[in-house]
Amino acid sequence: MAEAIALPQSRPAQPALQFFQLIPGVLLLAAVGYAGKLLERNVGTYAKAHHWTFPNIEYVLWAILIGLAISNTVGVPQIFRAGVATYEFWLKAGIVLLGSRFLLGDVLKLGGVSLALVAIEIAGAIAFMTFLGRAFGLRPKLTSLLAVGSAVCGVSAIIATQGAIEADDEDSSFAIAAILALGALSLFTFPLIGHALHLSDHAYGLWAGLAVDNTAEATAAGALYSDAAGKLAVLAKTTRNAMIGFVVLAYAIYWASQGQAKTVGNKAAFLWQKFPKFVLGFLLISVLATYHFFTKDQTTALANLSRWAFLLTFAGVGLRTNFREMRKQGLRPFAVGAIGEVVIAVFTLALVAGAGKLFGF
Amino acid sequence: MATNAAVVSSRKSRLLSVDTWAVVAALLAALLIRAGVLTRIPW
Repeated sequence: MAEAIALPQSRPAQPALQFFQLIPGVLLLAAVGYAGKLLERNVGTYAKAHHWTFPNIEYVLWAILIGLAISNTVGVPQIFRAGVATYEFWLKAGIVLLGSRFLLGDVLKLGGVSLALVAIEIAGAIAFMTFLGRAFGLRPKLTSLLAVGSAVCGVSAIIATQGAIEADDEDSSFAIAAILALGALSLFTFPLIGHALHLSDHAYGLWAGLAVDNTAEATAAGALYSDAAGKLAVLAKTTRNAMIGFVVLAYAIYWASQGQAKTVGNKAAFLWQKFPKFVLGFLLISVLATYHFFTKDQTTALANLSRWAFLLTFAGVGLRTNFREMRKQGLRPFAVGAIGEVVIAVFTLALVAGAGKLFGF
Repeated sequence: MATNAAVVSSRKSRLLSVDTWAVVAALLAALLIRAGVLTRIPW
């Protein structure tokens, strides 16, 4: 999860004022998302009526494209920025509500497969990114941040690790820029590769969840392929997110042993602090759905509410992506990230293919 | 990018994480749906 847009830091505002500052940006997210939904419905109909050949573009892509167009042409005015940054809130609320579409048995079965693949992916990605960072002569802590960002959870993991290993803000900004740029590219490349390889929804969703770094981009990359692939991508990515605390703890212990970070006192408290709480919310809703706490109509309502939350997220993904800002960060971290991401994408694709043969999907 | 540094410091200064707010809001919405306050959510 990530944002390149944040609240101004000059002075803390009152809570009520902070709330009202969010409204214009949230309305912009809703407008962009809904425009995407309208375009999906109407462009295809219009093209068909005029006998044009036009690909069926889903609302996910429309919302992202509209957001990208605004962000990279006129830019996002200051008044909207605080609200646009709430896309991360909508993403996580959407994931919690998505739990209603998973029965607990499915979560345990698919989550178990994902967990095994995630463990292999994290180990492989960290080892390879560390090697690449050294080969390109990046600063060691920047290399650590890039490795964590690629292996676990994009920007959230980078920010969690930055605090734990006492890395510079500059290193963090470099790593975040590289991860954001690559996340934006993956939105367009992953669905194309998936279709070219004729991947099943299951295999593609698992692959997107394992290989795409930011949760927002992983969710969008999955949804761009199909609804079923989107569900699987969220589940795999959520499993990956759950590992964040362990990886950050390992890095904190390593850098403390080098005398370059504070020693971690209470490791259990550290793990709880870093654990993404929305994973627990997702599991709770899934348990409630499994034990029929909700009727069929209520489950449908929850699933639709989750879709609306994701719609705002996808609009935010486009609106917060500014290629000009990313270009300013320099080529080397981006090159390391790009090479790493390509290798991780191929590696995870092979993992998914292997798991598919083993478990028959 | 400069704004990323702002993201880092803004996250550090939050009392409750976005995660926690998102879970609270989602569970509240689920309860409202369960209680019949929100009956139909179209897509």
